[in-house]
Amino acid sequence: MTENEQVKLIRTACPAHCGIDCCGILAHVKGNRIVKLEPADFPDERDRRICLRGLVSLDITYHPDRIKYPMKRIGERGEGKFERISWEEAYGIIVTNFKEISEKYGWKSIGWVLGGPGAGTTKFGAYLRLASLTQSTRVSAWGYGDAGLPCGSRVIFGHQFPYLYLFGEFWQRKYPELLMIWGTNPAESMPLQNMRKVLDAKEYGTQVIVVDPRFTVTASKADEYIGLKPGTDSALALGIMNVIFQNNLHDKEFILEHTNGAYLVRIDSGKMLRGKDVDAKKPEAYMVWHESSNFHKALSRTSVKEASLTGTYMINGIECKPVIQVLMDLASEYTPEKTAEITGVNKDLIVKLGKRIATAETVRFLTHMGFTRTYHGDISLRGLISVAAITGNVTTSVNSGHVPGILNWSPFLKAIPGKPSFHRIGILNLYEAVISSNPYPIKALWFAFINFLNQCANANKIIEEFYPKLEFIVQTELFLTPSARYADLILPVCSFLEFSDFLAQPYPYVQLQQKVIEPLYESKSDANIVAELAEHLGFGEYFKGGEEGLIDLIMASRSFEGITRETLKTQARKLPTLPEGASFPLSFGTPSGKIELYAEQLYEDGEALPVYLPPIEAPITPGENKYPLTLVNGHSRFRTHSMFANVKSLLDLNPEPIVDINPIDAETRNISNNDIVTVFNDRARTTLKARISESVQPGILDITEGWWIEQFKEGSLNHLTHDIINPVQDKVYEPNMHMNDVAVEVEKK
Amino acid sequence: MSKSKRLGMIVDQERCIGCEACSVACRIENNSKDFWIKVETQGTSVKDTPVGKFPDLTLNFLPRLCNHCENPPCVDSCPEDALQKRNDGIVILDQDLCTGCKACLDACPYNIIVFDENNHLAEKCNLCAHRVDKGLEPFCVLCCEGQALHFGDLYDPESNVTKILSKDNVFQLKPDEGTNPSIYYIRPKPKRRL
Ligand code: SF4
Ligand code: SF4
Ligand code: SF4
Ligand code: SF4
Repeated sequence: MTENEQVKLIRTACPAHCGIDCCGILAHVKGNRIVKLEPADFPDERDRRICLRGLVSLDITYHPDRIKYPMKRIGERGEGKFERISWEEAYGIIVTNFKEISEKYGWKSIGWVLGGPGAGTTKFGAYLRLASLTQSTRVSAWGYGDAGLPCGSRVIFGHQFPYLYLFGEFWQRKYPELLMIWGTNPAESMPLQNMRKVLDAKEYGTQVIVVDPRFTVTASKADEYIGLKPGTDSALALGIMNVIFQNNLHDKEFILEHTNGAYLVRIDSGKMLRGKDVDAKKPEAYMVWHESSNFHKALSRTSVKEASLTGTYMINGIECKPVIQVLMDLASEYTPEKTAEITGVNKDLIVKLGKRIATAETVRFLTHMGFTRTYHGDISLRGLISVAAITGNVTTSVNSGHVPGILNWSPFLKAIPGKPSFHRIGILNLYEAVISSNPYPIKALWFAFINFLNQCANANKIIEEFYPKLEFIVQTELFLTPSARYADLILPVCSFLEFSDFLAQPYPYVQLQQKVIEPLYESKSDANIVAELAEHLGFGEYFKGGEEGLIDLIMASRSFEGITRETLKTQARKLPTLPEGASFPLSFGTPSGKIELYAEQLYEDGEALPVYLPPIEAPITPGENKYPLTLVNGHSRFRTHSMFANVKSLLDLNPEPIVDINPIDAETRNISNNDIVTVFNDRARTTLKARISESVQPGILDITEGWWIEQFKEGSLNHLTHDIINPVQDKVYEPNMHMNDVAVEVEKK
Repeated sequence: MSKSKRLGMIVDQERCIGCEACSVACRIENNSKDFWIKVETQGTSVKDTPVGKFPDLTLNFLPRLCNHCENPPCVDSCPEDALQKRNDGIVILDQDLCTGCKACLDACPYNIIVFDENNHLAEKCNLCAHRVDKGLEPFCVLCCEGQALHFGDLYDPESNVTKILSKDNVFQLKPDEGTNPSIYYIRPKPKRRL
């Protein structure tokens, strides 16, 4: 086998896909050239996989348009004119600018905008460590679409992510009787880690329901498709809860044990009734109505077992109701008729759905970010979780399988223990910080693994008001993206095949993204760039060992005991398994330590319950609207956000941006397939090709996200979106961008 | 000449998510110009769009590749003997013998042979004979996102494909042509409505 003699096989992993899929990749290398990629083995052969993007990764690595050396802007910002400089010059420019700006405005005014690192850890951690050392500003990018879900999850579960509670068992291939796929399209966004298991579950016998405003590929696999109007998820959830309560099908035992459903709420103040309100011994104790003694009692393990879930009680002259009663009162307004009117879902279907969820032995809820990208998307998630909780379908302990791995972020978040760390600001708050110095001025930004202008809301505002206020912009990039064009300095980074990183994905594995070839041209990994810059700024000692040193640092966590960089070179490793019979409780980080169906801290905001509040812009209710159509943006299988948009082999299959229009809307506007149309609102005009498709309901347009600005004939997707901040999300965690809550009109060009 | 094997494939429409990873994988593996396996959206000429009226819709995908027919009209049509049926059932197009006359393009009832305008030669799926001869499965099968493609020997009673054939309701494309394709399809499962 002479071929094998020359070809070296190296196992690495693809971090591109926001971490969830994270396919193991076997690279075939001849000399310093990768000749082929294929799916690598996994300890469980069912996990061997690759997606079409992973397959064409070499087209990124060997792309002729790659940025090959550091470059300094010589034209106007946005013009795309740059000249080659050396790395030393580049570091010199950065140090000079950082010095000047920090002297004028403080280090706080220098921000690191870190986008989606995919499954990558140290490339992200390196920046956090340097931001911590310099006490500069870390701009969190959760808010460019991914903050709505954590906002909702933090309120109801007290945890950043709801996944383990809602479908951790599904990831362990324990398939339920009923699978609710709500507001996510794994067929295109997580085909391997999630969609394959959906297909496996169906084969196993699971009934699959898909709730989505678009008839997606995932919807096409469903046994029943619930095509609701965008942003009406919490109305649907309330309608479902109404059916469940009306039929007395809620799981009382589970509610008592794991939720705050029995806790008494003061009707006058909207706050929980506390011990101090009734002169009980423990002033802060929650109170319940104890059924057998027909009296209020402080919450305890025993009192809660006999607590009342319904009724109205006068206690010390204060009118009180248990949380479930308050929730029932709200849900009772959402009759099948009214729910149908708001959501557009057939009323009989709502009744059948409610009964089915309540009576199925097990229900798992597979969900993700998509439906939380509306103005009240955080409440949509809470509505979904409330349905799961009142039917006892939230997982509260890991009873077998693998304990989730915890990454050792502390040395990155706080480089020097005891010393202050970085400042933090959300990406949507960044607009105000840069434009109006609110809450404080940001004058220099470093963008890493983010195509900011392309992927963030309201592009014209960024171009006209945001960029001009910045004194210095650095971007690390592979390509001259729409965002990189606005940088003052571009630093060339490697593709994932040219550097090493630690990946704690996909569940239940950890993998090494192993460097397959030396960095091409003058490119470097983000981690090594940070390490070298740190050296220039006098913090070199914190980055000893570069990439590899950082990997060891992040792996230093008890959950990875026995797993080393060396052992990961040939195979992915499974996380430790729980011993037989052992169970690992999934705690809730809420103030009560329970699933909070009612969040008293949001009473003044009118959001203590998972209420339905209409979208902020999407014109889903009939009436006079200047812009009568709702624009949503799905995920395309051809791209990971804006990555792969410039890869020819995929453009052969999917050459240009299109807008999906329902035949009814197309007809009234005289639009046919392949016509060039303009989608517009007060913010912008975006011109592209039309596709007539029933996949969107009347009143909805869909443009998949990630196309680069220059691929549109005019405008772009995010020229149309808005940057309105939801103050409740701002308070709870970080405000999200609401790309699925946008009003537009469309006309034939 | 007795045929010892009949290598073929089963395409499970229930598991196919229309991702086109098979198309992309095949093109890379075979370094071909065009796609040898193409994923059609059934019932419509507009790719990736469902059939019906919202919300009562269906969306099914049909990956199409050379059928490695039992009775392949393409083989008879080729004046250069560039198309051959092997003993294991694979129908091979040998580009070294092809002169680019295009006779096979018309002969194939499935319209699956493509013409490379650059080298003026015909090309099609060879069922990854180069891999199969090394004991590997076809590259599209390995890379299929939905695990919708099953490869094996349709004569071997123990093979995975024979087992699937015995339990599922399968169909072949254009059975009336009398070609007896070695690529079988499983229809999507009926919906279990609420
Ligand atoms: S499908 Fe066409 S090319 Fe393939 S064997 Fe049959 S006739 Fe020949
Ligand atoms: S194009 Fe090539 S393979 Fe086809 S018939 Fe002509 S010579 Fe034969
Ligand atoms: S079997 Fe091989 S040649 Fe045929 S379609 Fe699949 S990958 Fe392509
Ligand atoms: S790779 Fe598999 S799932 Fe994807 S289109 Fe091809 S056959 Fe279907």
